[in-house]
Order: sequence, then structure tokens, then C-alpha cells
Amino acid sequence: MTEQTGVVSAVPSHIHLQYQPGLPIPNGKLILWLFLSTEIMFFAGLIGTYIVLRFGAPTGTWPTPHDVHLQEIIGALNTAVLIFSSFTIVVALEMAKANKPAAAKTALLATFLLGGVFLVVKAYEYQEKFAHGIYPAAPHSLLYDRADVYYAAAVREKLSNTRAELEQRKSQDPNSFSSADQQKLDLIADLQLNLVQWSELTATHCDNPVVAEDTLLLMAHLIYPLHRHEARVRQAIRYEITELQQKLAKWQPSPNGAENRMFLVSLQEPAASPDAQPSAAPAGAVASGRAVLENPERIRARLEFLEKAEKQWPHGINDAHPWLKLPIHIPSGHMWASTYFLLTGFHALHVLVGLFIFSLVLPFRLDSRYANVLENSGLYWHFVDIVWIFLFPLLYLF
Amino acid sequence: MTIPSASAGHSHESAYHGPSLRVFLNVFFALVVLTVVSFVTARVFHESPVVSWTVMMAVSCLKATLVISFFMHLIWEANWKYVLTIPASFMSILIILLLIPDIGRRTRLYSEERWRHAPQPVLQESHAATTEAHPVSGH
Repeated sequence: MTEQTGVVSAVPSHIHLQYQPGLPIPNGKLILWLFLSTEIMFFAGLIGTYIVLRFGAPTGTWPTPHDVHLQEIIGALNTAVLIFSSFTIVVALEMAKANKPAAAKTALLATFLLGGVFLVVKAYEYQEKFAHGIYPAAPHSLLYDRADVYYAAAVREKLSNTRAELEQRKSQDPNSFSSADQQKLDLIADLQLNLVQWSELTATHCDNPVVAEDTLLLMAHLIYPLHRHEARVRQAIRYEITELQQKLAKWQPSPNGAENRMFLVSLQEPAASPDAQPSAAPAGAVASGRAVLENPERIRARLEFLEKAEKQWPHGINDAHPWLKLPIHIPSGHMWASTYFLLTGFHALHVLVGLFIFSLVLPFRLDSRYANVLENSGLYWHFVDIVWIFLFPLLYLF
Repeated sequence: MTIPSASAGHSHESAYHGPSLRVFLNVFFALVVLTVVSFVTARVFHESPVVSWTVMMAVSCLKATLVISFFMHLIWEANWKYVLTIPASFMSILIILLLIPDIGRRTRLYSEERWRHAPQPVLQESHAATTEAHPVSGH
């Protein structure tokens, strides 16, 4: 035994030293378990943070999966894929230990492909979020936490910027300006007057703060509907329609017709030539704000708009016209997006690293001498699977 | 240098007699069943979220235990596995408990100004709502 220790001859020859390993496992496996413990710390920190942030958000604000286009069934599919891939890599390891390299290689290849499937499904999920304007951060993110006056101002600004772009294109090259583009301009004008201007004026001139808040909530809901606001918004629409119809019934024409003139100005404004003043009127001078709200033509336009919005855009304006990309209102949306993309992003990176490790192992002959390497790769892959086992209910089902 | 494990040392002499594949197949089916349970729980206990959260967390812990014990072969390892798993589990729970007073309950100390910019729930229609009286919004 002494030849194993390499001890110098200071030890007398009648003493036999025996090398005792600290742990009964190979060094590679020990190091990998130490690495996995650091990964446990890493993900426990992230997942713990998510749990605390999610349950500490103001009660009743955290978006439901439907609100943020999260499909539980896709998450369940990903879970099944990862669990199956964990199984196949265990099979690969057992085949290698039993000295069956061909079977081991097949199983390892299956694991590799299943990991690829997971990443493809995740990419599809990310694309769903991005298509609806849900990004981890500005400037791509369209999220707003509250439907307040800042949100309304953001919608107004987005509409006028888009309109300015379209009008510039129209004036530069009138021939290439198609009828579809003109329809876009008309839609923007419609929204500017009957959605944004109306909601902003109502909110600022209203005596009842509840009605004011509901008007902006209605505007946000028409752009991007949230299931939990459905009942409240329907009630707000009924209330508004009743109120507006009562106003129409009580309206008396004013003697000098000043209101009609004022209204004609604001209605003609969208159909005006491209070099007319860009939407200064929709911002609305305070003096004429109340007049707009009382004007019968504007009231009728608003009633028509509400009806059209309910019938033609049941899934919201952003869904019906994806090119608009209007700001959307999702309470706690920022927190949700941050935690979701952080957790799933880091997990997907770990899956990618796992696939890279498999690609390094695949070329070799996976017999029993190579079982150690396969075991270590498998341990890493199982850890990635465990993280997903916790992530799936936390992100998708809670 | 790696210490040759027992199986590699004897690979060319005797066949490897480890756990049969049947064990792992059973664990795999158990994991699939548990995933379905977790998925269905979210639907069934829709009205009482606390129950569904508890069940789902318990199912997740059970699934993780199965993967760690069988797929990662810890059940066949020596006592060092407890040194690894017990402190890690303990600290994972502890980090959440320690963050709750400061971060989990942060809205407790919000000022009026802060609440004006914070997301707020929108109450569903109240039973007393009519077209005359508008329902009060939540805070």
C-alpha cells in the first residue's frame, strides 16, 4: 500500500499506511455535486425572490396566465419533455455501466433531441409574449402598471407619432400610399378622437373620481382586455351608454351654434390635408373640453365607437391591429415580466449548456470506462429538470 | 485522478448488477402522474387558491425528491447525501422566510403618493351597483 501514498522514508517501514478517500465517490462526481450545490444556491435565490415578489404584490393585481398569454398546457408539455429526457439519460447511464455502448449512445441522443424540443417550445412561448408587447424591459415593453393619466398620455403620444410617420410617408410618396395605409390613418384618427380624447376629457372633467378611473380603465381594456376587469368594464360601458343617451335626449341646440362649429373643427381635422396641424385639437384646450363632452355629434360618435369596439374588436385593439402596438395596461405587469423572463431565461441557458455538454460526450464510445463522464453529465441534466419541476407550477399554475 | 469505482474495475470480468431499468421506468410514470395531478389541481381548486398552492408545492417537492433519489442515484449513496440535501433544503426555505418581512410585506409601508403609482386591484361589480349609483373602486 505504501507505493500509493508516495510518502518519504521518514515513516518507518513496519508502519503500513492506507489511503482513505474522504468520500466513497470519484473526484469528478464530488466536484460536480459541489457545483450543483452552488447551482442550488443560485436558483433558490431566484425562485425565492420570485415567490416573495409575487405574493407581496398588491392583492388582486398579479396577472393571470391568460392575461399574459401564458398557456399552462405548453408548460405541461415542456415538463413532460424534460422528465422524459431525464429518464432517457438514466437509461443511457445504466446502458453504459452495463457495457452496452450502442444503446447508451441512442439514449443519450434521445436526451439531446428532447432538450432541443424543450428549447424550441420555449422559443415559441417567448415569441407569443413578444408579439403582444410583453418584453422584459423598455423600450420594447408596452406595459403600464396603472391605467392613469400617464398611461393615457402614452397612448396619445404613440398614436400621434404613428400618425405623423404615416402622414410623412403619404406626403413624400403619394403614389405608394395604398388604401390599406389610408385605412390605418382613418383608424388612428378614430381612436384619437373617440377613444383617447374622449377618455382623457372625461377623466379630467368628471366630478365622480370613480367614473374617471373607470373611463381610463375602459380605454385600457379596449386596447388590451384583462379577464378580471371584464365585469367591471361591462358595467362601466352600460353606465356610460345610459348617461350619454340621457344627455342626447336632454340636449337643446344653443342659439348661436357655437358648439356645432367647434365640433365641426375637431371632426374635420382627421380628413384634412397632410400639411394641416398635427393633432393639436385632440390634446384639447381645457376651455373647450367640457364643450366636447356635451356636443351631441361627439356623443353619437362615441356611442358608435363603443358599439363598434365591442363587436369588431372582442380581443382588444392591439390584437385586431398588431401594427399599432399601443401601450397596454397590466397591473403588476412589469414585475411579472421581469421575474418570468429572468427565471425562464436562466433556466433555458442552463438547458443550452446541458446540450453543449452532451454534444461533447456524444462522439465517444460510451462503454463502462466512460460511465463516469456520462454520470456527471446526467447529474447536471437532472438538476436542470428539478429546477423546471419547481418553475412550472410557480410560473404557470399559481 | 479519479478513484476507479467498483463497477469500472470489474467491467471486463463480471456484468454490472445495478438497479434494473424497471425501477426507473416506474419512477418516470410516477413523475408523469404527479405532473397531471399538479395540472388538474390548479383547475379543481380554483376557488381556494391556498389549497391548490399547498398541494402543488407538495407535489413539486415529491417530484424533486423522486428525481434526486432515483435518477440521481442518491438513494444508493452513502450518508454524505444528507450533508448535501438537508442544509440545502433548509436554506432554501429560510431564504424565503427571511425575505417576507421586508420584501413580501413592502406594501404595508406605502405612502399615499406611492400608492398612486402602484398597481391596484379593480373590484368586480358590487351587488349594490345600479345604473344610478356607481360602485366604489378598490384601494
